[in-house]
Amino acid sequence: MATDRPISRRLFLRGGALVSSAILAGIPRVPWLHGDASGDAEAALMGIGQELRDVLNEETVNRILVEALRRGGDFADLFAEQRFRTNIVLAEGRIESVTYGYPRGAGVRVSRRNQTGYAFSDEIVYNSLLDAARVASAVVENQSPVTPIDVTKRNLVAPFPLTLPAPLMDETRKFELLRRMDAAARAFDPRIVSVRLEYADEVRDVLIGTSDGGYLVDRQYLVGISCTPTAVSGGDRRSGLSTVGGRVDETYFTAVDPERAAREAARQAITLLGAGPAPAGPMPVIIGPGWGGVLVHESLGHASEGDRIRRGTSILAGQLGARVAAPSVRIVDDGRWPHGRGSYAMDDEGAPGQRTVLVENGVLASYLLDKQNAGLLGLRSTGNGRRESYRKWPIPRMTNTYIDRGGSDPLSLLTGIKKGFFAAQMGGGSVDSTSGNFNFAVREGYWIEDGRITKPVRSAVLIGNSLETLKRIEGIGNDLSVEHSRGTCGKDGQWVPVGVGQPTIRFSQITVGGTSI
Amino acid sequence: MATLTPQEIMDRVRTQAERSGAAEAETYLEIVRSREVRVRQREVELIHQSAIQGLGLRVYRDHRMGFMYTTDLRAPVLDEIVNRTIALAGAATPRDENKLPDEIPPQTQELEIYDDAVAAMQPADQIALARAAEENAFARDKRIQTTQDARCGMRVSEVHFTNTFLGYQTYRTTACWLAVGAIATDGAKKREGSFSDQKRILLDLETSERLGRKAADRALAKLGAAPVPSSRAPVIFDSEAAGQFLNAIFGAFNGQNVLEQRSFLAGSLGKAVASPLLTISDEGLMRRGLGTRPFDGEGVQSRNTLVLDRGVLNAFLTTSVSGRRMGRGSTGNAIRSYDSLPAIGPTNFHVERGSTRLDKMISEVPKGLLVTGLAGAGVDVVSGEFSQQVEGRWIEGGKLAQPVEGITLGGRLSEMLLGIDAVGNDLEYRSNVTSPSLRFKELTIGGT
Repeated sequence: MATDRPISRRLFLRGGALVSSAILAGIPRVPWLHGDASGDAEAALMGIGQELRDVLNEETVNRILVEALRRGGDFADLFAEQRFRTNIVLAEGRIESVTYGYPRGAGVRVSRRNQTGYAFSDEIVYNSLLDAARVASAVVENQSPVTPIDVTKRNLVAPFPLTLPAPLMDETRKFELLRRMDAAARAFDPRIVSVRLEYADEVRDVLIGTSDGGYLVDRQYLVGISCTPTAVSGGDRRSGLSTVGGRVDETYFTAVDPERAAREAARQAITLLGAGPAPAGPMPVIIGPGWGGVLVHESLGHASEGDRIRRGTSILAGQLGARVAAPSVRIVDDGRWPHGRGSYAMDDEGAPGQRTVLVENGVLASYLLDKQNAGLLGLRSTGNGRRESYRKWPIPRMTNTYIDRGGSDPLSLLTGIKKGFFAAQMGGGSVDSTSGNFNFAVREGYWIEDGRITKPVRSAVLIGNSLETLKRIEGIGNDLSVEHSRGTCGKDGQWVPVGVGQPTIRFSQITVGGTSI
Repeated sequence: MATLTPQEIMDRVRTQAERSGAAEAETYLEIVRSREVRVRQREVELIHQSAIQGLGLRVYRDHRMGFMYTTDLRAPVLDEIVNRTIALAGAATPRDENKLPDEIPPQTQELEIYDDAVAAMQPADQIALARAAEENAFARDKRIQTTQDARCGMRVSEVHFTNTFLGYQTYRTTACWLAVGAIATDGAKKREGSFSDQKRILLDLETSERLGRKAADRALAKLGAAPVPSSRAPVIFDSEAAGQFLNAIFGAFNGQNVLEQRSFLAGSLGKAVASPLLTISDEGLMRRGLGTRPFDGEGVQSRNTLVLDRGVLNAFLTTSVSGRRMGRGSTGNAIRSYDSLPAIGPTNFHVERGSTRLDKMISEVPKGLLVTGLAGAGVDVVSGEFSQQVEGRWIEGGKLAQPVEGITLGGRLSEMLLGIDAVGNDLEYRSNVTSPSLRFKELTIGGT
């Protein structure tokens, strides 16, 4: 990228925008060229995937991997990718922009112990990739050559079936969805002065060859629409947010009722007009289901990622078997959750996506691992090696991370709270995984007074520490929901789609960053 | 790509677009070569080498816009892209203001944004710099036993541009960076402190000595940190925190947000929205600036814009379309890459240097907080609300006291900006959005 980004070491989760404008600017697709029938569209895409396989067949992949390990190393892999992206912005009632993007390229990684060499080419051309292999191998200094195992095709098991992936929808259907949502949000209340809708989808073809003999090909579909209406009244100005999407079929958009989602965003903005100050300081807090899982993503998820565990710079390093949450808590990272933004048949180094129980009965049961860090820790990959694109190397990342369901009726969790805070809708968050200090924003919050939800308050952050906050869980609802239409996680300059989830949860104490003390 | 020059590729694409029915067409081609090395515990942990080439095509057909990008520069693919982009434009809503810039920018003065020394950097040079920076963090104090890593990077970028009116323009830039994430431990707890610098010119880059030391000091300063009780008190943001704050409120000065009613500053042009001590500029022509380029992402000449003049809101930042819609011209703030539409962003966006030393600011505070870091997205530029996790040092009787973490700050941006009662003289350019230290008269601290 030509943009001068500051070097950040923080770990982020965004839910506001479905995609980062700089990174996922637009997504083109082929069907435009080849008629509208989805069958044709799929065939056209397969054709292009075939071109990738023609250039990078088993034979050429073998030769590239031989070159990669010529100076030695523990393993090497080749990662080729092409994406078709469509991005549509509807703002102020107009289709403001329509974008197609067609990024493609391939990279070679060479790895020895904790060392990684990575080089890529924007051209999927045999000679360019041989060069990339040589550049990547420079990280290994003068070892003797290692012979990779010849690759053979490995089959993948899809995490869930998709018969009519939503990105293959008719173009006109995408515009229609946006127009309907725009109209629904505007009609909700005259104080809605503007509505911004962003549609993004992609079809991602991936081809991986590994020096342990794997040759894997996969296709991944993702779609999302975000709706952000703005309400103005007097001097007060508020925005709301709702999202729909995931790794879903076309039929999803009939089932979820996009208009309802748009009205929900408008309701949020209107509710918050004239909201009073939020409380400041520690108090009992209840966090609503679904996207509220941003808490577990920040508090425990990042700290369990294998790179910082291996370096000993995470607060959870060496804590397997230790109590990290209240005894009733189970935390899961599930790379196969139906329609999850973080779901896949294989991760970006060819390991199958899997369900990993991170915390069982409040005790830390597993880390999230890629191949390299698993090897260094003497463990096995949990299928969490992900990368933003062929321009980056894989690092351990979350998929869909959630706190599992409990037994309580959500409403009963209010009982006995004299003065507290109810976070109905969350925003994004971030964590410093060395200290475990994390924060996440509340988009829609309310006072709790004498066991009842009362007045809405202005936005505020909630803060906590990884080793303390989850131990303060004192009630878990039976209403588990895993959000699969928003969530983009940033780490080390790499952004990947993720899901988060939880049921309604009550904490004995969390610090609220309001202004009323 | 192998046989055609960037100019030939773009001319071909643009001419074809115009011939196929686009009234106006713009091509933006980027070639970037970069390398980052990371060192940890004195050992090379990563060498990442990039070679990027990509093309973006924007067309206007009957005032409707279409945009497409690709990294595949093979002729048949480019032919296809032109056709698809023009077809795509038919789906957009027309807008009278949709028009490409047509003013030929004058020759720009020497901006000093390219350095042969950066372009010539070898992996060994980068490894040496990163090693030295990490070594200096270790040397600072025995409590620094490990790091997250030390990173040294270099980047050489070429931008090639044409549109229907302006013809071919090009420029090149370089950037180099050095960063350390030091971990301090007191036996029981670990805290991370990082420090980084990024420059256009290699000789301008912070020394590895100062960088390693600063990162170590920032980590050490956090050891033993604890929350303080909730209160209302004066709060100072050091230049690091103030820069983060300025970056977070940038969106309020974004003209597109103003048009969509998504800025708390909408309707405030010409009004006093901040303390008279506060002046904010966006200086597109700053010599050696990290955000400096001769022209912006749609070919408009870069310029310096006074955004906030002694507290009075003077201008919103715009692209050509948003500028036209606001009845003003573009401020040259179309920021993009080949794979994104031009969108409003900062060039070199900063609070002008004030006159107060940071230690003097501290000495004037009987009880309050020095913030050295903000965490998370606590700024809502739509509603103008501020609620943020922060860390720093408590101030007692005008002197720095214990380290503080696990607290929040809350306030309303409009009141915060008006309540700034001191601006520091410590402005540094380690990023393209930067500020000297700022003191706020009173904020709400959420603690124990």
